[in-house]
Amino acid sequence: MRASDKAKIRQRRIANIVLIAISFSLMFLGKADITALRNARMGATDFVAPIVDLVSVPARAISTMVTGIRTVASLRAENVRLQAENDLLKRWRRRAEILESENRQLRSVTGAVAPERRMPLTARAVTAPGGSFAHTVLIANGTDSGVQSGNPVVTADGLVGLIVDAGRSYSRVLMISDINARIPVILASSSWPGVTIGQNGLFLELAFLPEEADPQVGELVLTSGHGGVLPAGVPVGRVDLVTDDFIRVEPAVDFRNLSYVSVLTGGLDGVDTNNLSLGDYYTPLPIDDKTRLLEGVNAAGERQ
Amino acid sequence: MSKRPNVKKGIGATGKYFERAEFDSIWPFQFMVSVIGLFLVLFEGSLGQWTLFYGATPLLTFIFVYYIALHFENLLPVVAAVLMGLLSDLLFSDIIGARALGYMFVIFVMQYRRQRLLQGDFLEIWTDFSIITVAVLLFQFAAFCAINFAVPSTTPILFQLGVTLIFFPIGYVLMFSITALLHRARVRT
Repeated sequence: MRASDKAKIRQRRIANIVLIAISFSLMFLGKADITALRNARMGATDFVAPIVDLVSVPARAISTMVTGIRTVASLRAENVRLQAENDLLKRWRRRAEILESENRQLRSVTGAVAPERRMPLTARAVTAPGGSFAHTVLIANGTDSGVQSGNPVVTADGLVGLIVDAGRSYSRVLMISDINARIPVILASSSWPGVTIGQNGLFLELAFLPEEADPQVGELVLTSGHGGVLPAGVPVGRVDLVTDDFIRVEPAVDFRNLSYVSVLTGGLDGVDTNNLSLGDYYTPLPIDDKTRLLEGVNAAGERQ
Repeated sequence: MSKRPNVKKGIGATGKYFERAEFDSIWPFQFMVSVIGLFLVLFEGSLGQWTLFYGATPLLTFIFVYYIALHFENLLPVVAAVLMGLLSDLLFSDIIGARALGYMFVIFVMQYRRQRLLQGDFLEIWTDFSIITVAVLLFQFAAFCAINFAVPSTTPILFQLGVTLIFFPIGYVLMFSITALLHRARVRT
């Protein structure tokens, strides 16, 4: 073997070791959430996302075609179901109008301040979760449109997640099904507080409920608004399974068919969006027995 | 007294400028394979939009890297494999660097196993691929647990493993056919 060949092999070995070291370092630096790395990441995403969008066109087309075929096959049954749903919705609408009117009157009496308005901004989902270790999606709207880290992302059905990285034209949404997503919630009928934890799957775990809480299967789970990052009252899901040590929640949104979402911009005044550590804001238990907080108070205002 | 020419030790009297010219350079092919690999990363990600593969797409790029590393020793540079892994991690927010390490692992392992596998039958190759895929996913799982201090749901990981193993023969035959066609076209020209 010639000396030049030996030198080449040595160089290649060094290069390989450097690449392994870089990859290993990135694994830990990525978790450290360093601003420079985050910016580099969003810069790369902004650059590559249009190509991803283009490459996904055939996949989206096939998906739409399959959905279309399924819809045609079940058109009759779907029609009957929709008519029934329409009747039900009409009744709910009337009920909502009555409640809204009552709510307005009560607000005028108590002088309660309406929560700060958030502006919805429609965005298209460019990617879908494909890896088994993370549940995030890229959406086609960024800081140029007013999106910022911490903005909630919803659909008509409920909460999808929140913006964790905002680039100029594209943003990354951390879905509530991701293992790193912790959403402060309340049970709709009893107002007991808890936290939903993503499982990187189709369901969520409802944890940190007080011992007195008695969640029922089918009970609605709403955001509590603790911390001020997410607005209160957005549907997160419904209790799906209750065992002695585990409560499962089925998300209100079907993440498998996510094409368009609404980003609720604004409403983050006073929240340090560069450090969205919900643990700093959230206090799940009352400080003492005399303190009356939202926790443990039912819809009628009685303490549970 | 005439000066002795500055001859580098070991290179020989001719020097590096007189080394054999490489008329049949491998670089264009390496570039093409890298570009195809990068596009495959994007395509693999887009499969997540199908309801069937929600949350766990088949590891098509992994199959591609394995195939190239097995049949074309020098066509996929380690740097390209790292770039493919990093792009995938950046776009789909997996653990950054974990896939890059996985692809590098495949290339390094294939250096030692290539000869034996090429003499065996397809079943042996499939088994070998299965073992490597399990090893890489186990590594990613361990890395994820260590970094996040949390154990993710194993169902999507097992689904991804299963779907990848099912897709392997299809991908293998497809890539084998394409390379055979390209080879035939090259011989004709």
